[in-house]
Amino acid sequence: MPMLTTHCRLSFPSAGSSLYKTTNAVQRITENRIQRIKEDKIMAQDHKAAPMVDEVSEFEVLEIAVRELAIEKGLFSAEDHRRFAEFAHSIGPLPAARLVAKAWLDPEFKKLALEDGFTASKEVGIDWLNPTGFGTPSDYCDLRVLENTPSLHNVVVCTLCSCYPRPILGHSPEWYRTPNYRRRLVRWPRQVLAEFGLQIPADVEIRVEDSNQKCRFMVMPMRPEGTEDWTEDQLTEIVTRDCMLGVALPHPDRKGDDRRPVHKAANPVHGH
Amino acid sequence: MTTLRKNNPEAEVPNSEFSPISLLEKVREQGRVWEDLAKQYGVDNADPPWKINLDSTCEALAAEQCTLPVLERRNEEDVLSETLYKDVPYPERQLLALVHSMIQRGLIDEEELAARMKFIDKRLNSA
Repeated sequence: MPMLTTHCRLSFPSAGSSLYKTTNAVQRITENRIQRIKEDKIMAQDHKAAPMVDEVSEFEVLEIAVRELAIEKGLFSAEDHRRFAEFAHSIGPLPAARLVAKAWLDPEFKKLALEDGFTASKEVGIDWLNPTGFGTPSDYCDLRVLENTPSLHNVVVCTLCSCYPRPILGHSPEWYRTPNYRRRLVRWPRQVLAEFGLQIPADVEIRVEDSNQKCRFMVMPMRPEGTEDWTEDQLTEIVTRDCMLGVALPHPDRKGDDRRPVHKAANPVHGH
Repeated sequence: MTTLRKNNPEAEVPNSEFSPISLLEKVREQGRVWEDLAKQYGVDNADPPWKINLDSTCEALAAEQCTLPVLERRNEEDVLSETLYKDVPYPERQLLALVHSMIQRGLIDEEELAARMKFIDKRLNSA
């Protein structure tokens, strides 16, 4: 069988032809791209990824195992769990902070909030009857808003367990669940508040409200001085979670998302 | 086990004598807690990534079917936090207490859980 030979003729574009121009343009684009890749690589070397925990703990495995088995056994559905988790991820103290800020600015709304916390909550986007969008897991939908005055300071606890106005205030802090806080606050409120750094003058009455199976409470603190011309958004930023539990007071210089202060070591180790 | 409505203030105070469960003892002894991991890896998240899943499991168990009522679980968690899991930080002790309550009620089986953990560990570490 005769061997087949393929002839290939290469043609080069002559200078000035349209093909030559196109080839040059492609070359320039390619060079630019290579340059950008080089620059990106240099930037990537400078930019370090945020630290992360790069190992799986026994506790993490245990949490997943329990959840998967519970779903398989029909104790709850995966969809139920997802909704609870998504709901928990999406709430924070903001709705309650806005409720307080609105009440500070609008006397009519304040009256409503104090008389009917449930209805007032709806105006900041929280429906206690249906906070998750698929039915509340409990029967607590009676929100009482407790007003602080110059002669009265309110603080919230749940002596029985850890009842908390979650639909409007998000997840409870760890200390709220501890027997230490729950037991001692009702006995020695002034001392416990002092441990939070809150000194309440002796002539101010402290009232401890104990959450129960029907009621949830939040505190409406007094509007601090120095916020006279502030907008609702500005006021919302300074009404932190702790202010609405009664273990702190709002301050014009302190916002909920402020970074924690860093105190440098007095006698640092050399090089650190 | 007495069945009680959730949020019942008259919920039975749990028996303060809880027996150790060998699987959970193993996790307690060998498991690395979040505060150590966060410190080692320079992470500043206050809670481990599984915390909201754990809370959601507690919520789901206490929801409509009321498999594990809130107050019963919380009462038992308080007792276990002061006894068997006294030295375990939060939220790891919340997790151990929840699983303890579930195993004690027969909602999950210890051997079955151990097998599942082995399977999940392999799955998570396969990548």
